[in-house]
Amino acid sequence: MRVSLRWLRDYVDLPMSDPREIGDLLAGLGHEVEGIETLEAPFSGVEVARVESIRPHPNADKIRLVTVDRGSGTQEVVCGAWNFEVGDLVVLASVGAVLPGDFKITAREIRGVVSQGMICSERELGFGDDHEGIMVLAGQYDVGRDLADYLELPDVVFDLSITPNRPDAMSMLGIARDVAAKLDLELREPVIDVTEVDPASTVRIEVRDSVGCPRFVAREVRGVTSGPSPMWMQARLRAAGVRPISNLVDATNYVMMELGHPTHVFDLDRLAGQRLIIHRAGPRDTLTTLDDVQRTLDPGDIVISDDDGIVSLAGIMGGGPTEVSDTTTRVLVEAANWNPPAILYSSKRHNLRSEASARFERGVDPNLSGRAAARVAQLLVQNAGGEAASGIVDAYPAPVEPETVEFPTAELARILGIEIQPELAAGMLRRLGMEVSGGDALLTVEVPTARPDLTRAVDLVEEVARLYGYDEIPETLPLGTGGGLKPVQRRARLLRSLLTGAGFMESNTLGFISGSDLDALGLPEDDPRRATVKVKNPLSEAEETLRSTLLPGLAKAASRNLSYGYGDVALFEIGRVFRHQPSPIDERIPHQPVHLAALLAGRVLTGITEAGRETDVFDLTALVEAMATRLGWRDVMLRQAVTPGLHPGRAADVVKAGIPIGIVGELHPSAVRRFGLTGRVAVLEVELEPLLAEPPWWELAPPSIYPPQKFDLAFEMEHDVPAAELLRVVEDTLGPTLESVRLFDEYHLGGARKSLAITIVIRAADHTMTDDEAQQLRLRVIEDVQAELNAKLRGE
Amino acid sequence: MDLDAILDAAPGEIEGAGSLEKLDAVEAKLLGRRSFITEQRRTLGKLDAADRPAAGARLNDAARQLQELVAARRLVLEEQAEERLLEEDRVDVTAARRRIAMGTNHLITQTIDQIADIFAAIGYQIADGPEAETAWHNFDALNTPWWHPTRLESDTMYLDYGDPADEILLRTHTSTVQVRTMETEPPPIHIIAPGRCYRTDTFDATHSPVFHQFEGLAVAEGITFTDLKGTLAYFAREYFGSERVIKLIPHFFPFTEPSAEMHVSCFACDGSGCRVCSNSGWLEVLGCGMVDPNVFDAVGYDPKAVTGFAFGGGIERMAQARHGIEDIRHFFENDIRVNEQFV
Repeated sequence: MRVSLRWLRDYVDLPMSDPREIGDLLAGLGHEVEGIETLEAPFSGVEVARVESIRPHPNADKIRLVTVDRGSGTQEVVCGAWNFEVGDLVVLASVGAVLPGDFKITAREIRGVVSQGMICSERELGFGDDHEGIMVLAGQYDVGRDLADYLELPDVVFDLSITPNRPDAMSMLGIARDVAAKLDLELREPVIDVTEVDPASTVRIEVRDSVGCPRFVAREVRGVTSGPSPMWMQARLRAAGVRPISNLVDATNYVMMELGHPTHVFDLDRLAGQRLIIHRAGPRDTLTTLDDVQRTLDPGDIVISDDDGIVSLAGIMGGGPTEVSDTTTRVLVEAANWNPPAILYSSKRHNLRSEASARFERGVDPNLSGRAAARVAQLLVQNAGGEAASGIVDAYPAPVEPETVEFPTAELARILGIEIQPELAAGMLRRLGMEVSGGDALLTVEVPTARPDLTRAVDLVEEVARLYGYDEIPETLPLGTGGGLKPVQRRARLLRSLLTGAGFMESNTLGFISGSDLDALGLPEDDPRRATVKVKNPLSEAEETLRSTLLPGLAKAASRNLSYGYGDVALFEIGRVFRHQPSPIDERIPHQPVHLAALLAGRVLTGITEAGRETDVFDLTALVEAMATRLGWRDVMLRQAVTPGLHPGRAADVVKAGIPIGIVGELHPSAVRRFGLTGRVAVLEVELEPLLAEPPWWELAPPSIYPPQKFDLAFEMEHDVPAAELLRVVEDTLGPTLESVRLFDEYHLGGARKSLAITIVIRAADHTMTDDEAQQLRLRVIEDVQAELNAKLRGE
Repeated sequence: MDLDAILDAAPGEIEGAGSLEKLDAVEAKLLGRRSFITEQRRTLGKLDAADRPAAGARLNDAARQLQELVAARRLVLEEQAEERLLEEDRVDVTAARRRIAMGTNHLITQTIDQIADIFAAIGYQIADGPEAETAWHNFDALNTPWWHPTRLESDTMYLDYGDPADEILLRTHTSTVQVRTMETEPPPIHIIAPGRCYRTDTFDATHSPVFHQFEGLAVAEGITFTDLKGTLAYFAREYFGSERVIKLIPHFFPFTEPSAEMHVSCFACDGSGCRVCSNSGWLEVLGCGMVDPNVFDAVGYDPKAVTGFAFGGGIERMAQARHGIEDIRHFFENDIRVNEQFV
């Protein structure tokens, strides 16, 4: 809503003029100021003058000498235009005036005669394009007065963002009422006075849908002549951001800006049957709107028809044939009230938003329609020379009555935390147009129908606070009842510090995927990650699915970085994934567990590094172990597994307490290619909740002060025996005596056999372990491994 | 050959030894098994008993002198050798050969953590909630009528899931966590709820279908608008700097009444107007207000017994203000050249 300061001053005597101060005042009332624009006349020293006499130029045929009256005296200028005669009011730029483009008017000799200025065209003055001739002013203008006054310049325009709860503030008068109430000033409403002339209008209105159209006021104005509006009205409309069209259309736009009620004028001679029918559109109805678009209507659209068919999409835009034109002489003024949701949905559906629909979708006061129609009629009579017919049609079957709200004044202190005297509050509400009775503890407030947002005491608290000034309310800082991070939240941060400390960079991907992303990963149809949740109204086909795994997002991020020349990446992401199954917290919504995923590609960027080595799966199995250790879990294991999407020989399930919680491995080479990556790409994805749960408290194992024994063993065994099993057998056999066991060599033998070499350190807690004891334990390890893993000791 | 001649010549020979090897040879010649001194010692027994002590003492004396000279020379030579070794070991350390890989938390995570900590310090808990929600949690419980334009598909993403009557959607704000929390816990409530939100917006410099918000909610007996102002002023000082002041501008949200927008004096220009604040001197930071009684009714709280305030702001916006990020896509494209700046 663009608010002209000059226009605003019609209704309220603002004591201040600093635009910033006025902007703060408006913002403080809840009308956010999105911009302040200063409008200046693009000229100076230009005034209204009357043509006194015209005589031929002695030395030229096409130009003439014109004597004009400036009020303060007369002067002669040379003029090349012929579209005026003696007595006309014209616009004079005399010596000393400056026209747009810094064009300074000086005394100039033209074919032997000195011209003391020039008579201007619209284009020379910097508005309009009319250069057919000079401007001839029609209407009331004072000779000698600065033209800028008539153009309402200079001016300041405030571009306000009106909140959706304030239909009343979509108008100059609504803003003026707020300002007047805030500053306790008088509000001057426009005087609306129409003389009605018989015979009465015979126009008929038939409202078939009074839900869609609670009120329809129609009145006739006859004998109008289409033409331009007065300069001041055009100027005000331009300031408000509306293009002046003609005195007929401008009257409706002016009233919309002034009162906040959109209206419409039809050419009554073009309305078939001289009647209007208001109804919902039929299933196959179409309408070509004023913007020359043929629109297929929806049964939810409210339309206006005459006897020949639909003429207007109600409250949004008219159709061509019944619009007013240059030749219109008889108009029907429509001031109707439309159902806000219906207008909202129609305008969204047809992607047609207008100043009118913006007001109707907020909800225009139905009790304003009569005044709005009268005001349009008044302006038509004033500016287009018509006369208003008697016989106003007003279809208003269920008049809306003002609401009464009980307002316990103790609510002010309870909500706002400050004491405001009931009389003070009552005065504020009255200034906003409310009827207030009662006093002290309980006010009874009758709210005008222009304020449908005020239905409860708390709404009135806000009105009082708004006028009192939010700035005047003090600050207090209460403390909450016990805060801080919960253990799971602290542990999530611990996990992050491990990841970032290890060199992983957090990503944040949008989280939408498509079926083709899951294809790229190579997931079979029955993979649980295919049980996705789809978006009904996705932004694009590529974003139609909520992610069921974080891996495609990370793979695509890595791929994008590779395309930028950064192939070495260590990424992680923590976020929700979505599964097509009920959530444990609410069965109506899908399950959405939090996952952690990591991806390594290119050369290793983790730890202390020279970035020389290509990454592989073991970088991420190391991460799994580190995460389990840091989070205090000793029951996290890797179980070699063939997992869709991953390299069949380089992947494992991450298992916690026997339950799989994730996967780790290298992306399948074909998935690597499909995501546009190269080389080995190590990935990890785990569900976080089991890891972030609090583990049992650990107990200290006091270090032994006795020397260790150390020995190496190499076993030959079947290829598919996991190394983790070998380590487990050693751990089981040696128990607390075992200090460490580490795999240090692994190679393939012929056939399906392999060799695993381990180094074992053992130490007794309470004495020096003898060679003999160590030998005993060594033999027991050999025995157990051979027995449990069907292995054979090598090199003996 | 006599001892004096040896002693005269020895210092020159020892000093003349240019390396440890040569010094070893000189030492062997002067003090070794076949040296004059060793041989003389061996023949001491043949002397008269009366002469022996003096001759012996003289030999010992000479030997000690020579040993001291050799030892001194050895020290010098060893030092020189060490210096040569260190010189050979020299490297240019000014350019790093190795690096400690440094990961980063995403700027959104960092901002969330900062905000969470600011509120944790005044007794707030950090709450969380689902991103796929019922329309009831996202709209109805928050006093948003059925016809409100924000419920249209042009604003809100709906999911093909569950009972159509539940209208499962991607939450458009973190205010859903207000509802989830109050549904399950009695007052008093003091929470801050950061998280992801979604909107039907095409991804460009100023719009993203995914964005992050933080929601605050305080509900108890006796909470008032002055508490809201004071809490937000505290937050503004903690996040934007101790000199910051706030102002609240009346606004409208369906779920608060009275409602306001919080503006913070610009941290870059201190309110005088600059590029950061579009010359207004103020930054629009978040929306807030007193919890609407209809919200309390929806979750089963008694609006006559408790009052509360709520506020919600954009995480990206908070981070953008502080770090001069103009294009919101930087948050989601995961260009490592960007993310590595999130220190």
